[in-house]
Amino acid sequence: MKKAGIAGTAAVFVSSPWLSVFSDSKHTARFVAKLGIIGTGSRGQHLMRFLAANPKVEIAAVCDIYQPSLDGARRIAPNAKAYTDYRRLLEDKTIDGVVIATPLNAHCQIALDAFDAGKHVFCEKTLGITIEECYAMYNRHKTAGKVFFSGQQRLFDPRYIKAMEMIHAGVFGEIQSIRTFWFRNGDWRRKAPSPELERQINWRLYREYSKGLMTELACHQLQVGAWAMRSIPEKAMGHGSITFWKDGREVYDNVSCIYVFDNGVKMTFDSVIANKFYGLEEQILGSRGTVEPEKGKYYFEETPPAPAFLRLLTDIENDLFNTLPFAGTSWTPETAGKNKGEYILGEKPKGDGTDLALNAYVEAVITGKQPPNIAEEGYYASALALLGDLTLQKGEILKFPDKFKIDYLNHRKVVSA
Amino acid sequence: MKDTIISARRKKIEVVAFIVCFLIANLLNLYAIIAYNDASYSELITSLGYVTAAAVVLYVLWCALRILFYGTGKLFFPKK
Repeated sequence: MKKAGIAGTAAVFVSSPWLSVFSDSKHTARFVAKLGIIGTGSRGQHLMRFLAANPKVEIAAVCDIYQPSLDGARRIAPNAKAYTDYRRLLEDKTIDGVVIATPLNAHCQIALDAFDAGKHVFCEKTLGITIEECYAMYNRHKTAGKVFFSGQQRLFDPRYIKAMEMIHAGVFGEIQSIRTFWFRNGDWRRKAPSPELERQINWRLYREYSKGLMTELACHQLQVGAWAMRSIPEKAMGHGSITFWKDGREVYDNVSCIYVFDNGVKMTFDSVIANKFYGLEEQILGSRGTVEPEKGKYYFEETPPAPAFLRLLTDIENDLFNTLPFAGTSWTPETAGKNKGEYILGEKPKGDGTDLALNAYVEAVITGKQPPNIAEEGYYASALALLGDLTLQKGEILKFPDKFKIDYLNHRKVVSA
Repeated sequence: MKDTIISARRKKIEVVAFIVCFLIANLLNLYAIIAYNDASYSELITSLGYVTAAAVVLYVLWCALRILFYGTGKLFFPKK
């Protein structure tokens, strides 16, 4: 983190307290975390490449029910034991922690079993396929006393950390709106080697395995919004439909959701996967400025004036050639200004924090200490994504259910009488 | 093609013309700094690039005017 130029200030730890996980990193230099990877498909292998590069990690075991994925994992970690049943992997007492990167519907049971087996858990987002599952996973982590991370890598991305530090210090004024979107142009399909494997390979497209755009994409961006607001939205509303990819999929390819915070500020999530012009972004709109952390940029509302000489020339030009409408400039179109903004870290962003998130997990596994807020951030990101899915399904405005609240930020655990 | 000779006097006239243009551009910059209250006098230095560009434009305009003037003169009153 120091290399990114953001470590060492108190404001950083106030904004992102989980970074304290790195404070023991010098003392853990001689230790090695033995990890098991459960689910070694494309994401699992992506995570493994980062872990394999970390000298504090030994990938001791890999597990998958799909042989090509298992073969791919063995190429990254040739000495790892290979399993096709995760329960056998959990029986290995030498393994300290697991990384779960299976399809979403399998996360919960594996995580619960892992905690029961005394393992630390890094679970890809979204944590569970229902809010009940996420709640059960969070509670089991608390009772087991084991480390629990979710795949919310932006929590460790230096540009997000710096942006949040600035937002929380009030640099951009009061946050008035958060607009998140993720646009792609593709069917999101992978080639299934045989028709009977279609649902397993393209699990993101079937509701039995996934809630589609909400759990695969929104989950990341809702976490960013709640982090910026330091608050959990109280209600959600939205609409989803299949408008383009009518290919037998069960999840929506076109969704819009609105989340409302206690103070009336809204956070929106929009996703369409038949047009990628706008890409992905979280636009955090304050009264004095705007942050676009995906681009790694911020923009102040008031920009320094141009040099007087240029303004004089512009005014002369306007006097000579312009004919303003009699009602004044308010009739001119209010299109977005050409404010190029500044880079949050002074340069174009590199990476997305995945390596740092995994390094943090490794540190936590070695020390056995759960960093503050990390499980809670993961829990609420998942719960909000799933609340969004519920509102899309029901077509109703839904409040965050009291029974799934935990003691975090503006939420308090509700104890039923 | 015919050799052309630029006399020392002509060079001097052109250098002086450009210096005058540069001075005019600087005076415009000074006026702008005074006219726009939020501007800083450091712009006398930081805007030198714009000022130089403006001086070149003024010089080109001045050249165009002279070409027009002398060209027209030569057209209507050719040397005998």
